[in-house]
Amino acid sequence: MRVLLVEDDRLLGDAVHEHIADEGHAIDWVETIADAEAAIHSTPYDLLLLDLMLPDGPGLGLLRRLRSGGDVTPVIILTARDQISDRIAGLNSGADDYLVKPFNLSELSARLAAVSRRYAGNPNPLVTLGDIEFDLAGRSVYRRGRPVEVTAREWALLEGLLQHPGTLLSKTQLEERLYPFGAEVESNTIEVHISRLRKKLGHEAIETVRGMGYRLKR
Amino acid sequence: MMWRIWTGAPSLQRRLSLGLAVGVTAMWLAAAIAAGLVIREELDEAYDSALQETAQRLLPLAVLDIVERSAGAGGRRVTPIGEHKEFLTYLVRDSKGRILMQSHDAVPADFPDTPAHGFRTTKTHRIYGEKAVSGTIIMEVAETLAHRREAAIEAAGTLFLPLLGLVPASLFGVWWFVRVSIRPIRSFRGAIEARGEGDLSPIADGGLPAEIEPIADAVNRLMERLRRALEAERSFTANSAHELRTPIAAALAHTQRLIAVSKDEAVRERGRHIEAGLTRLSSLSEKLMQLARAEGAGLIAEAEQDLTTVLEHLVEEFRRAEPENARLRLVTNGRLVSHMDADAFAILLRNLIENALKHGEPKGMIEIEVPSDNVVRVVNGGVVVGPDELKRLRGRFERGATRAKGAGLGLAIAQAIAAGSGAELTLSSPAAGREDGFEAVLWLPE
Repeated sequence: MRVLLVEDDRLLGDAVHEHIADEGHAIDWVETIADAEAAIHSTPYDLLLLDLMLPDGPGLGLLRRLRSGGDVTPVIILTARDQISDRIAGLNSGADDYLVKPFNLSELSARLAAVSRRYAGNPNPLVTLGDIEFDLAGRSVYRRGRPVEVTAREWALLEGLLQHPGTLLSKTQLEERLYPFGAEVESNTIEVHISRLRKKLGHEAIETVRGMGYRLKR
Repeated sequence: MMWRIWTGAPSLQRRLSLGLAVGVTAMWLAAAIAAGLVIREELDEAYDSALQETAQRLLPLAVLDIVERSAGAGGRRVTPIGEHKEFLTYLVRDSKGRILMQSHDAVPADFPDTPAHGFRTTKTHRIYGEKAVSGTIIMEVAETLAHRREAAIEAAGTLFLPLLGLVPASLFGVWWFVRVSIRPIRSFRGAIEARGEGDLSPIADGGLPAEIEPIADAVNRLMERLRRALEAERSFTANSAHELRTPIAAALAHTQRLIAVSKDEAVRERGRHIEAGLTRLSSLSEKLMQLARAEGAGLIAEAEQDLTTVLEHLVEEFRRAEPENARLRLVTNGRLVSHMDADAFAILLRNLIENALKHGEPKGMIEIEVPSDNVVRVVNGGVVVGPDELKRLRGRFERGATRAKGAGLGLAIAQAIAAGSGAELTLSSPAAGREDGFEAVLWLPE
């Protein structure tokens, strides 16, 4: 998925950025509310990681503006404010979840996955399509009961397709989910990943609609 | 000061009641005494005048009587007209002192040896003498002083007797009136006394006397200043929490990245040590922050709020944080509407629940119950904690005989918040209604 990280602490931002990118997601990292707003207006994000105390204002202000403007992008608040009233205020302002600093990176991943599953309308982490079983929480795939090794990129791609099974995702949409701003994307990268996944999961698992995009077969 | 010796601190009510009552009584007595003296003076004048008048009226008759009898030898006693007690007695003598005539009750010994003209006072009598026939006949009329005294005492009695009833009545009246007058002051004092340490909201000063109102205003202004100062301190604490948490978060995240990317097992092992240290540092700093908060202000909110939401949210948070926290069971039968600050309440409950999770029997359920309005019970199973240890548990940095990790600050923080917010926290073991376990009950302030 494509994630926007809004965090002004360089050290923390750096580690979180690296961790999420390592899991195969596309992540853009900005340090101010102004940059965050610019990024949101130019790119569709699947999730926002929002720090509450930013150099140009409170993160909650940005969240409220997004929600009042009808934006429904899932938002996880990263906060150093440990007071429960701050957290309740965050949720009441439209956040989907929050993490109190310091947090474990693995917990961050789990929350990320849980929120995007809820957002996709299926909180159950286990998804079965034909003879393939996906464990969204454990980030693992089984075919006919046997584990299938997939790379982080491949997993991220599968996750995107799994969020809307049966819905077409265009090549551009998939690229946006996988690669952040400024990343060099080879013109046939998506095709390469798809063909590798087909080898692992069976040719009929992913359907190509010519000129439109890809979808998981139900 | 006299008042201090009596009561320790001077009571306005006692002072005013006593002062006014004693003052009024003293004035009353003084007025009565003055009136008594004046009456006595006037009575003396009236009696003297009556004495003189009697002498002057009787003398011509006596002279006529004596002359008619051609001055026979020996005195003559006037035959009384019917028996009666005489208030006035008289003696008619010649210039040498021989008695010519006397009234029937007259006792010559009561009169001075030689007659004289004008007023005289002996030890027992008041006497007036009047001369006739060129001073050869002198009539003296005497009246006993006792008679006069009796009249004076009777007059004074009618002045003083009502005081016996009026003085206690006025004492009670003054006491009652003062009490009613200072009632707003007492209720203001009560309002101040009834507050918990952390309550700095302004006190309503309805109906205070004009003299006291500025004091109430000053108290409220002082509380407002204090509230602002403590508010500043609190936001400073919150900010320092932020300042501290972010670098710890960054260090922890980088350590976890190091563990994730390193191919060297020794480096990963080192990384896990650092990770554990950072986690401990973060929980300790959190507890210290909570303790600072608990002993600061802001434990009381100005408006009542429903803390049930906070409790539900907190339990939800625990459940989400770790799968093993599914051991928490929340049952609410009452409402939690209190002036206690939501964050302070959350810190208190968080510590009680953490304590139950850490020290309770492993895998046992932890009951979080609201049995009735404004009461929260946290109960866990486990070995019974002895009474001495229970007492120690409330102290700072104390730990039970357990190997569970923790800074040992949890119950001290819970205790400090409860004390500062006017709530009450009791710890008991075994838990009520069972033979083992530990129970913490929190009674919220209204």
